Amino acid sequence: MDRSRRTFLKQTGVAVSVAALPPWALELEAAEAAAIDRAKLAALALAAAKKLGAGYADIRINRYRTESVSTREKQVQSVARNQSFGFGVRVLCDGAWGFAASRDVTEASIRRMTAEAVAIAKGNAAFQRKKISLVPAARVSTKWKNAFVTDPFDRPLDDKIQFLLKLNESALGVKGVNFVNSSLSFVNEQKFFASSDGSQIEQYIIRSNPSFGVTAVNMLAGDFQSRNSLGGPQGMGYEYLENHDWLAEAEQAGNEAVQKLKAKQPQPGKRDLVLDPTHLWLTIHESVGHPTELDRALGWEANYAGTSFLTPDKTGKLQYGSKLVNFFADRTQAAGLATVGYDDDGVPGQKWYLVKDGMFVDWQTTRDLAAQVGRKNSYGCTHADSWGSVPFPRMPNVSLEAAKSDAGLDELLADVKDGILIFGDGSFSIDQQRYNFQFGGQVFWEIKDGKKGEMLRDVAYQSRTPDFWGALDALGGEASYRMGGSFSDGKGEPGQSNAVSHGCPVARFRQINVLNTAARQGARS
Amino acid sequence: MISETDARAVCHKLLSHVKAEDASVGVSSEDYAHQRFAANNFTTCGLRENLSVSVTVWSGKKRGAAATNAVDDAALRRAVEEAEQIAAVSPVDREYLPTLAAQTYKPSAGYAETTVKFPAASRSRLVHDVIGMCEKESVTGAGFFQARGTAGAFATKNGNFGYERSSLTSLSLTARTPDGTGSGYFLRNHYDIGRLDTARVARESIRKAQTSREPHTLDAGAYTVVLEAQAVADLLGFLRFVFDARSADEGRSPFSAPGGKTKVGEKIFDERISIYSDPWHAELPGSAFAQGGLPAQKMYLVRSGVLENLVYSRFWAQQKGKEPTPGPVNGILESSAPTASVEEMIRDTKKGLLVGRFWYIRPVDIRTLLITGLSRDGVWSIEDGKIQYPVRNFRFNQSLLQLLAPGNVDLISSPERVGSSEAQGGDSNLLPALKVKQFNFTSQSEAV
Repeated sequence: MDRSRRTFLKQTGVAVSVAALPPWALELEAAEAAAIDRAKLAALALAAAKKLGAGYADIRINRYRTESVSTREKQVQSVARNQSFGFGVRVLCDGAWGFAASRDVTEASIRRMTAEAVAIAKGNAAFQRKKISLVPAARVSTKWKNAFVTDPFDRPLDDKIQFLLKLNESALGVKGVNFVNSSLSFVNEQKFFASSDGSQIEQYIIRSNPSFGVTAVNMLAGDFQSRNSLGGPQGMGYEYLENHDWLAEAEQAGNEAVQKLKAKQPQPGKRDLVLDPTHLWLTIHESVGHPTELDRALGWEANYAGTSFLTPDKTGKLQYGSKLVNFFADRTQAAGLATVGYDDDGVPGQKWYLVKDGMFVDWQTTRDLAAQVGRKNSYGCTHADSWGSVPFPRMPNVSLEAAKSDAGLDELLADVKDGILIFGDGSFSIDQQRYNFQFGGQVFWEIKDGKKGEMLRDVAYQSRTPDFWGALDALGGEASYRMGGSFSDGKGEPGQSNAVSHGCPVARFRQINVLNTAARQGARS
Repeated sequence: MISETDARAVCHKLLSHVKAEDASVGVSSEDYAHQRFAANNFTTCGLRENLSVSVTVWSGKKRGAAATNAVDDAALRRAVEEAEQIAAVSPVDREYLPTLAAQTYKPSAGYAETTVKFPAASRSRLVHDVIGMCEKESVTGAGFFQARGTAGAFATKNGNFGYERSSLTSLSLTARTPDGTGSGYFLRNHYDIGRLDTARVARESIRKAQTSREPHTLDAGAYTVVLEAQAVADLLGFLRFVFDARSADEGRSPFSAPGGKTKVGEKIFDERISIYSDPWHAELPGSAFAQGGLPAQKMYLVRSGVLENLVYSRFWAQQKGKEPTPGPVNGILESSAPTASVEEMIRDTKKGLLVGRFWYIRPVDIRTLLITGLSRDGVWSIEDGKIQYPVRNFRFNQSLLQLLAPGNVDLISSPERVGSSEAQGGDSNLLPALKVKQFNFTSQSEAV
């Protein structure tokens, strides 16, 4: 079967304008590599692993392409294309994992690395205290792509350069703006997975990340303020650049950066907060996404990312937030950065509740974690960021449900006598069990007597996860719901990067501890 | 990993395909192995081999770049073509400078074959022994061992070439007590596995876990603190990003001064403190190649508390009539005055806190180098020159400029090789323990 990329796209329903395809040299290479008979190579690896004594084995033969353009002011700083192709074999022998990976995708290399993976697993198995096992996964043979419209790799480079330079021009047109940096990053994952369970899965995934930052400098005073873009990355194609008014946002960012130079500092103390989705996604990520990872609760991340204040015995018993709070995990969400057809265990993408009516009800699981706690199924949270990385538990899209009302920002502001409205993500930090956190933002507005007031600067808030979500007393409806996310969420040893989205409506929180970060020695409340 | 002969051949082949006026090409290879364990059990373990090439060309001063890990002859040609196609549709690179002609590099010594060839069976045994120490002391261990070798080369169309190998190995361990109230962490790295004291890592982590059990709760506030070298490494990781001359000249750096000036020449830190880079330091060898392919040299950023140098790229140096900066390629902070050990710092403290590690450190305000984060894996109260009891963790908001400012630094130890915990030991510095008079803890954290 012809496995070329273009054929794959046709088979999976993506409309491609052949005339729009530039004759990129590496594109030809990608097509050649895709033509490698991956099914045959996979069968070789799986048979070799079985013969050597592996109870379970899988192989991923993946290609990762990236394109990035970065600019500052009126000039292009860099344009680069990168691709990485290789395979990783994972085996489970006598209750211990082994893994080996190489860029050399040949029969000889696959045989050698499969033997290496088995040797590692067996070497560890000799000392293993508690055997690792897997819950079952259905046998699958399928192809899947995420729901992008326009493949950004098919768009001319000049479109991307002009997009950024116009964006910069828009920001620089604001009097008082000194600097603007902007960039575009596109990622394409072409993944092939086969396992000893009989599954064989091909996936084609596109993600896009436009971003910019505007800086205004007061040279005389030795002061400067920046305002970064609010848009964030999405699991979308080039249409994301065309469906959002980036030029208007750049101009607004310029105005707000200049305005921040003269903005007031906050009075520290307890204040009501109204948080826009462009800000709240990151608080959700840190204080809900990570604590509900089961590997953290079991101590598997204790040496790096940390553990969790949640433990298995608290499932269905711990009040995570107010009754309004419903968090769901979803690897099927449209435009989600962590949306997949199947995870790197071969388990289908799913949607489930983590917090229901304020109660903590469930975990993010993988095949090996689920077995540790007596579950019968995995929710499909296994992911590796490269062919050369070991698959391990990574976060699905975790989102906050909107209210079943048509409330919007104005309705939430109306009931605030003295508060702060925050847009955009800024500084972020949280402890290793996900209790104590502190977040900044991009733009802060005073709320006085139910209305948006003057701009503030140097604002951060600090809280404790269950207290914070317990203080939520109002949510916007679907009309205010928006997805934010990260292109590079770090976790694991060696460190891996995961892209993940978090959707939410505008939300209101009562009496949260606000800091003035410009005070001497900073941030005393 | 790729040999110098093969690397030179790959670079030569890449350059032979270049039609553009100028080009810089590179090849890098990696052999990497790791063992991860948690809950006193092996979790994910494996190895990876990779080789990749990169090409940057300038055609009519227009720049294009491409990279791939396919390295057969046809793939090398395609990578060059890709870069040239990108250059053809790109605007003129206003910051273009011709690539360097042949340079003379003095080799550094940060490579040990024994690190790269450390056998899988030995890796398993090493982790088994660490887990065994945890079991013997009734603590739960989670940790990470890694061994990495890299070899790579670069070449320019103007005749420069450089080849270098390096290695790095590290072991970190978090030990937690069964009651969930105590946790200890220790991390060390080295380029030479023969000089990585794995038993010390296990011993120190377990000791910290056992002595941090049942911590007391203290109010947040400004405390005198003794910061172990690990804590200093965790804090000062942000310093490396702020010595950029261009940002300072543009008025958006902590080292910018009113009126469009910089703080070069000003005393910014305690006068005992010097921060420098030395590619040939025996304990911390750095790369022989500094930014832009310049031959690395020993150079000071801060000498005796005075900001002596900012880092000028080749482009910015030309704009400002300066010399481009031949570094930094590593980070060393040391005291010009007699040093004190951590034990002596504790004995010298009437009332204060001992901190072993910080975590999740992020910038809050770049103007003052205000950062926030939390203590982790052990804080202890010091009273009357002795450690009295463990203390719950805190969040801090602390300006690094104020941390090291004249008047705030009390005692400085001799530096030791340590990597930041957020970088998993993948970075290396020579840093001392510090006793500082005021450190700003702003809230309590109940996390263990």
